[in-house]
Amino acid sequence: MTRYDLIVVGAGPSGLSAAAEAAANGLKVAVFDENARPGGQLFKQIHKFFGSKEHKAKLRGYDIGTELLKEAQEQGVEVYLNAVVAGLYADKEIVVRLGEKVAHFKGDTVIIATGASENMLTFEGWTLPGVMGAGAAQTMMNINRVKPGERVLMLGSGNVGLVVGFQLLQAGCELVALVDAAPRVGGYGVHAAKVARTGVPFYLSHTIVKAEGTDRVTGVTIGEVDSKWQVIPGSEKRFDVDTICIAVGLSSSTQLLKMAGCELAERAAGAGYLPVCSDVGETSISGLYAAGDVSGIEEASSAMLEGRIAGISAAGKLGFAAQEAVTARLATLTTALEALHEGMFAPKNRGKSVDKTEEGYDVSTNLLKKGYLADEEITKYPGVKSVSGIHPVIECTQNIPCNPCQDSCPKKCITVGGNIVTLPVFDEKAGCIGCGQCIAACSGQAIFLVNEDIGDGLAAVTIPSEFLPLPEKGERGAALDRAGNVIGTAEVTDVKSVKSFDHTNLVTFTVPKELGMRARFWRKGAAI
Amino acid sequence: MRITEHPILGASEERRTVTFTHDGAAYTGFEGEPIAAALKAAGIVIHRYTKKYHSPRGVFCAIGRCTDCVMVVNGQPNVRTCVTPLAEGMTVDTQHGAGGEDRQ
Repeated sequence: MTRYDLIVVGAGPSGLSAAAEAAANGLKVAVFDENARPGGQLFKQIHKFFGSKEHKAKLRGYDIGTELLKEAQEQGVEVYLNAVVAGLYADKEIVVRLGEKVAHFKGDTVIIATGASENMLTFEGWTLPGVMGAGAAQTMMNINRVKPGERVLMLGSGNVGLVVGFQLLQAGCELVALVDAAPRVGGYGVHAAKVARTGVPFYLSHTIVKAEGTDRVTGVTIGEVDSKWQVIPGSEKRFDVDTICIAVGLSSSTQLLKMAGCELAERAAGAGYLPVCSDVGETSISGLYAAGDVSGIEEASSAMLEGRIAGISAAGKLGFAAQEAVTARLATLTTALEALHEGMFAPKNRGKSVDKTEEGYDVSTNLLKKGYLADEEITKYPGVKSVSGIHPVIECTQNIPCNPCQDSCPKKCITVGGNIVTLPVFDEKAGCIGCGQCIAACSGQAIFLVNEDIGDGLAAVTIPSEFLPLPEKGERGAALDRAGNVIGTAEVTDVKSVKSFDHTNLVTFTVPKELGMRARFWRKGAAI
Repeated sequence: MRITEHPILGASEERRTVTFTHDGAAYTGFEGEPIAAALKAAGIVIHRYTKKYHSPRGVFCAIGRCTDCVMVVNGQPNVRTCVTPLAEGMTVDTQHGAGGEDRQ
C-alpha cells in the first residue's frame, strides 16, 4: 500500500487547488479522479469568471483550468486518472479501482473534493432521448464540439441555466425559451440580460408539463404555475424542440464522506445533508477535509479557495508549514473567500428575495421577471449617466462579487471600491476615451460604450460580441433592445478583435439618435 | 451537428477520422472522442431500450454518472458511451435490456 502525506479525491478546481497548495508546502500529494482528463467541469466553462484579480476574474474557465493543472504539475502533484475511489475507510485508507485492478492507498490527511452532480426533474416524457442535464449539453458542445440539439428549451434560470443557455446560442443552437417555476430569475441579472437581448423569451412561474415524442423529443409543453406550483389549466404553451435542458440545481457528492462516517447535517430544511466542517473545511474526522461543491454548492471561484484553505491546513496539521505561515496564508485566503460571500447572491441570502441593493437602489423587477432592464429604469443606477461624448453605460444593477471593470479603465472612470459587490459607479469627469477595455473586461457583458449624438441624427453604440459570424464594417443589420425586440436598423462602423480582449469582440454600430440608450444587440439581416 | 467554428473555442483541431459501425451500418467519427459524441454527430440519439418497458434512452448526463447512455461496444454490454473513447473499427450496438443474457 502506497502512503501519501495528502490524498485528494477529485481533480476539479477545488481538488487541484488543494493539491497544489499542499505540495507547495512540501507534502507528497496524490490526486485521484475517475475521469480520463483532469479539471472537473472547469474545461467546459468557456465564459469569463467573476470576482477580482485574486479570484482569476475575467479569465475563462478553461484557461483557469490550464493554469491550475500547470501549477499542480510544477509542484509535483501525482494525478491518477481513470481512478475511481470506491471506498474511504478508517485511518484514511482509500480503495481505488484503476482499470481492472483494485489498489489501496493511505493518506495522512485526505481532502474530499468530489464536487456535485446535477439534479433532475421528472415530468411526462422526461426519460426520452433529448432530455438532458444542462451540464450534459455543455459537455457536448464545449468539450466534444457537437451540438446537443438544434432547437432547445432550457429549464432553470439559475446561473447554470443562464450561462449554458447563452453557450447554446454561441454554439449555433436556437434557444426557444428559458423557463423557471420560480417567480424570479435565480442567477445573475447580467447573465439573464445577455440571453434576453438576443430575443430569447423568459417564462418565469412556468414549468414543463410534458415532453413529446415516441423515440426522441419532438416538442415540449410548458404551463404557468400557481402559488402552490400547480399548472394553471389553459396556460399551456407548446414549442417544437429536439432538446430539453434541465438546470435545476446540483447536489453535493457526499458518498465518500458518508462512508467514512463524517457528521452530516442539513444547513436548511430541504437543503440536503452536507458535511459539518470547521472554518478550514475539516470534517468531524480529524485530518479529513471537504472542499468545493461537496461541502456546499457554490461557484468554482469559491471552490478553488476552499481547496487552498484545506490544503494549507493539512500542511499545518502535519507540521510541514509553521503555524505563523499557515495563519498568515489562511488570513489571505479567507479574506478572498469572504469577498465572494458578499452581496445578494451570497450563500446566506439563498432563498431570500432581496429587493434593494446594499446602496439602496431598487432591484429591477423587470430583470427578475423578464431577464432584462426596462428602458426607463436604466438611468437610476450609478453606472449609467446620460452625458455628451462617448461614455460607458454600465448596466450592472445587482450586488455581485466582481470588479475587473474598475481595473480595466486607464482613465479611472469606473469605481467599484474595496467591497467588490458594490455597484460600479461611472465618473463622467474622469474623461472616457472610448478605448473599450471595460467592455471586454466585464464578465457579465453588461458594459456598452455610447455616444448619444454623433451628428446627422445618429448615436453610436459599442457592444460586446461573442457570436459568429462577426458583422463586417458597413454591414447593415437589425438593432435589438434589451428585451430582444427589433427597434431599428443599425449600421456597423467598426469591429475590434484584439487578443487581450480574449474573444470578446467590440462591435460599434450607429442607430437613430433616439435609440442610442436602447439598442443593445446587433443581428444580421434586415430590421423586420 | 458538429461545431466547426466557435466564437470562443475557435476552429476544431484536426483529429484522425476513424470508422465504426452502429447496428451494422458504417459511420465515421474522430478517434478518441466519446462514442456518444460521434453518434450525436451522426444524428443517432437512441442508445438503448430499457428492460421492462422497452423505452428508449439517450445521453443524459454526459459525464459518466447516470449510465443512461450504455450500449453494447465490441460485444460488451453496459459500456458508458459518453466517457468511452471511440477507436477504429469499433462495433457499437443499441442495447436491449441489461444487455447480457436477456438480449433480444
